[in-house]
Amino acid sequence: MAAVAEAPGTGVPLPAQVQANPITKKLNKILDSKIETDQELLDALETVSPFLTENTLQRRRNLRRDLEQRSLETNIRFLNSFRKVRDAVEGVTKDVDEMSKCCEAMTNRLRATKEQTRDLLNQTTSLQNQSKRVEKRAEIVTAFLGAFQLKPEEAKALRGTADGGIDRNFFPALNRVREIHADCKQLLRTSQHAAALEIMEKMAAAHEAAYELLYRWIQRECRLLNVDFVDLNPLLYQAFEAMQERPVLFKYSLDEYNTARRSHVVRAFIDALTRGGPGGVPKPIELLSHDPLRYVGDMLAWVHQAMASERETLQTLLKACKPEVLEEYVLPVLSHITEGLCRPFKVRVEQALSSENQPVALYRLSNLFTFYANTIRASLQEDAALIRSIEELKELTLNMFFSALNSSVQRMLEKIVPPDTDLLPVQGVHQILLMLRDVLESHDAALVTVTDKKENFTRIFATVLDPMLQTLLVSATQLSPLDVAVYMLNCLSSIYSVISLYQYTDDRLEMIKAQMEANEDVLVSEQATAILKRTGMIDLYSKAAAHQPKQGPLSAISGMEAPIISSALGKFDVFLAKPDSYQMQQCSYLTSAKLRASVQKRTIENVLAAYGILYAKLIEPANNYPQLPLKSFDQVRELLV
Amino acid sequence: MAAGPYNYSYIFKYIIIGDMGVGKSCLLHQFTEKKFMADCPHTIGVEFGTRIIEVSGQKIKLQIWDTAGQERFRAVTRSYYRGAAGALMVYDITRRSTYNHLSSWLTDARNLTNPNTVIFLIGNKSDLDAQRDVTYEEAKAFADENGLTFLECSAKTGENVEDAFLETARKIYQNIQDGSLDLNQADSGVQPKQLPRTTPAGGGDAKQCNC
Ligand SMILES: Nc1nc2c(ncn2[C@@H]2O[C@H](COP(=O)(O)OP(=O)(O)OP(=O)(O)O)[C@@H](O)[C@H]2O)c(=O)[nH]1
Ligand SMILES: [Mg+2]
Repeated sequence: MAAVAEAPGTGVPLPAQVQANPITKKLNKILDSKIETDQELLDALETVSPFLTENTLQRRRNLRRDLEQRSLETNIRFLNSFRKVRDAVEGVTKDVDEMSKCCEAMTNRLRATKEQTRDLLNQTTSLQNQSKRVEKRAEIVTAFLGAFQLKPEEAKALRGTADGGIDRNFFPALNRVREIHADCKQLLRTSQHAAALEIMEKMAAAHEAAYELLYRWIQRECRLLNVDFVDLNPLLYQAFEAMQERPVLFKYSLDEYNTARRSHVVRAFIDALTRGGPGGVPKPIELLSHDPLRYVGDMLAWVHQAMASERETLQTLLKACKPEVLEEYVLPVLSHITEGLCRPFKVRVEQALSSENQPVALYRLSNLFTFYANTIRASLQEDAALIRSIEELKELTLNMFFSALNSSVQRMLEKIVPPDTDLLPVQGVHQILLMLRDVLESHDAALVTVTDKKENFTRIFATVLDPMLQTLLVSATQLSPLDVAVYMLNCLSSIYSVISLYQYTDDRLEMIKAQMEANEDVLVSEQATAILKRTGMIDLYSKAAAHQPKQGPLSAISGMEAPIISSALGKFDVFLAKPDSYQMQQCSYLTSAKLRASVQKRTIENVLAAYGILYAKLIEPANNYPQLPLKSFDQVRELLV
Repeated sequence: MAAGPYNYSYIFKYIIIGDMGVGKSCLLHQFTEKKFMADCPHTIGVEFGTRIIEVSGQKIKLQIWDTAGQERFRAVTRSYYRGAAGALMVYDITRRSTYNHLSSWLTDARNLTNPNTVIFLIGNKSDLDAQRDVTYEEAKAFADENGLTFLECSAKTGENVEDAFLETARKIYQNIQDGSLDLNQADSGVQPKQLPRTTPAGGGDAKQCNC
């Protein structure tokens, strides 16, 4: 079609040529156009050919109109078609517009929603955080409560059982109360002041109530201990352990225990005294009352054994307590428990003593008391009533002993008579010494301490020996000094031989020895004097001893002349030949051979000494003696010793 | 809680008698401390020791009184026989004199204790066999004649020491079981456990503590 439309137009733009020769030009142009190669033309022809079915002039003439007709039709059709398209497009445009509006609205809404959601999200996050914080706090609070509050079962345990007792959960709960209270002090240092104070207050109250309950329970338990055999409730150890915190209540609790045990011990003691063992074997202790020593001994042994048991029980009761608590209380408690025994014991002892007047028996009793006072002392307080009672009884028996001893001695001394000519100790002396020996024998060595023993011995000797020696002297007043000396020596050696067998008598032995020496001196000097007298030497000796050189020669003094001296020396020679025959009768009455020998020896020594002094004077040239029948000092000594 | 010393069923009281130096204190020490005291001083008066043992499943506390053998203490020691459930009579196998005195100790024991008191004869120092002065057979015959149980022991090595104390307790327990020992009397030398108490935590707890 375009080719067709263009073809007419080709000659139009060249007016000059047309002007020149439009036909030529046109022809040229046609000629120039190479139709067969013009594709457009070919296509146009191709298009036209179908409806140009017959090549008639008519047709050819009409072709242009036909083509234009056709073109018009086609354009109309085209137009119609385009109208539809335009309508459709318009519809679509409208739709799209609407959609766009819609979209816009939605976008707006979305935007709005989005705004709104963001708040919500923020809120949620914040709530979540809050929730987490709260949870954590809840955890902390639970932990706090766990740490600072009693569990229900703990609170229950602290309230005790329905009958006011406690069970084994009590003490752990009590510990918890204590712990919480202590922890609160820690808490006070933090910012939780108020809570800490409140809890502390609560715990203090719980603590107080628990101790109240515990004390009442101990009271009740202790009252049950008033029995023979104590099977301690193990909770009781814990109770006393817990009570250590409350010294006052602790003391009250122990008082309760004290009272129960004390009354039990007294009852058991009375039973042992009056009822004895099964079927009366062993016999009730009271059946022995006729024999004070066994009676008292059995009572004391019973007490000693009861104390050992009580001590063990008490130590068990307090075994969970601190060692210093045990140390503080064991002795006082035992002292208190045994206090009840004092009265029944003392009454019986005093009764038994009232019929006893034998010194030996009394002395043994006093030793028994001394022994038990020492044995028991370590287990009780120093001023414990039981020890005091025993000490008092010891003093009492000791005093009774000394007064019994004294009266026995007095009775025996009354029978003392003057000695016979043999100068041997009279019967009464032996009697008294026998009693003294019994007393000393009865003094069981290890039953009392050395100091006690020494003290007693000194008193015993003072009671027995001093009055005896005095009486003996008085009884011998009619005798010559020589006889008295021999008699006293005989008596003193008897005493010496008795008491030298015992320990701790040194002082007294020394005293006796001194007394014996004094008497021996008397004997020696009496005997030496007698010898010097018999040999006529006594005057010579005293004058020689008194002579001073300024008096002139000794031989010139009256009574000291050479012939007198010669005669005396002759008599002295007789003595030197048989010195033994010059011994005095009394010396042979000395019972002790050793003493006899000693007196003899010392007598000779005295005589020899006197001779020595005389001899020295006689050989002194200044004394002007002629040749005398003189034995030298050494010769004489040889003869005598 | 550890078993306390008071968780037992009975207390038995023992005395140990015999001449000085036969080893009474050493036997007690060996039994309570499981040690030998070579240089043990003479006992003054009496001494005391305890130990908990078990007989037929029952815990029993022994309260043992060791007496002085020296003659001068007889006046004191005689008072401790009263109410002994068991008496251990000791001689020294190396010193005949201590064996010869047994009949006097036995007389004392019979007179001063109750008829149910179990008397056990111990020949001590069995470790010193080389210095033996009393044969086992002779002492055994003496024991049989007098109805005593007899063992030779050594406080030094510990030989038979446990057996002597335990066998005595067994016999006492037997006497309780067959009713010949009446516990309702004072001075029987045996103290029974009380009846269980009503207090909730009383006896029950105690038993638990034992295991
Ligand atoms: N070899 C040996 N020596 C022993 C034995 N038992 C005791 N002894 C020794 O014997 C001596 C006396 O022992 P103690 O236990 O003191 O005697 P005791 O019977 O208690 O004496 P008293 O208390 O005076 O009655 C001590 O030196 C001991 O070492 C033993 O089994 N073997
Ligand atoms: Mg001993």
